[in-house]
Amino acid sequence: MPRIVREAEIDWEGTTARGSGVVRAASTGSFELSATIASRVEIVEGKTSPEELLAAAHATCFVTSLGSELARMGAPPERMHVRCTITMDEVEGGHHRIVASDISARAVVPEADAETLAAAAQAADEGCPFSALIRASAMVTVEATLDEGGS
Amino acid sequence: MADRTAHVTWTGSLMEGAGRITSVESGAFGPLDVTWASRTEDSDGLTSPEELIAAAHAACFSMALSHGLAEAGTPPERLDVDATVTFVPGTGITKSALVVRAVVPGIEEPAFLHAAQAAKESCPVSAALASVPEISLEASLS
Repeated sequence: MPRIVREAEIDWEGTTARGSGVVRAASTGSFELSATIASRVEIVEGKTSPEELLAAAHATCFVTSLGSELARMGAPPERMHVRCTITMDEVEGGHHRIVASDISARAVVPEADAETLAAAAQAADEGCPFSALIRASAMVTVEATLDEGGS
Repeated sequence: MADRTAHVTWTGSLMEGAGRITSVESGAFGPLDVTWASRTEDSDGLTSPEELIAAAHAACFSMALSHGLAEAGTPPERLDVDATVTFVPGTGITKSALVVRAVVPGIEEPAFLHAAQAAKESCPVSAALASVPEISLEASLS
C-alpha cells in the first residue's frame, strides 16, 4: 500500500499565554478548531488542545485495530465504542509530558466471549500504530467489555 | 495535570464499516466521520488518526515556540505552522514534518532557528512521538 500523508495547520497569534490559535485539517477540511493555552491546561471552554486531538486519534486508531483483530478471529463486531483519555503531567525537571493514554472499549460481538474480546483488545493494542508510538512517553492501558446487542 | 477524553463508535467491519468520533470532552468538535478508505486512500473530506496527530503536533509546537520566543524577550506576532504526518499501512507512522513561518519583531535569524529547534525538542507531542523515525523542521522568518 502507498504512503499516506495527512496535513494539518495552525495559525497562532501572539504569545502562548495570551494568544490563541486556529487549527485546521488541511488535507480534508474536516475540522477547524480554536485552541488556547488555557484550554490546554485549565478551563476547557469549548476549545480543543493537542492532548484532546491525540485522544481522538488514539481512539480512532484503536477502534480500527480492534475491528480487524475481531474479524481475523472469526468474530466480526457489530458495533464498538471506544473512549480514550490522554493525560499530560509535569515530570522531573519541570517539563510537561504525555504520561498516559487510557483506552476503554465496549463492543457488541455476537460470536465472541469475554476471553476472545480480551485477546483481540490485546492484539489491537499491539497492532495500533499510535499505541506503539505513544509508548515513547506514555503508559497505555486497555480494557474491553462485551455489550449486549441491540443497543 | 490535564486529562482530555474522546469517544469513538465504529459499526461493522474495517473495510465496509464506518466510525464516528462522536464527541470530545471540550465539545470543540465532533461528530467527525472516519473510514478505512478515508484513512488510507482518498480522504474524501473525512479525517483520520494521522490527520488528528498532525493537528495535535502543529498545535503543540506552535505553543512551545511562542512560549520560548516570549521567554527570550522576543514574543512572536504570528506563527503559521504546518504538520504533515505520513502513515505507511503495515509499518506505522514514519514521519512528522513541521514547517513554520513566523513574524517575530526584533529577532535575528540564528536566535529564531535556535528557538524553533528547542520547541521541536521540548513540545510534549514531539516527546510522545519520539519513536517516529523522522521528525523534520523547516523554519523561516517572514
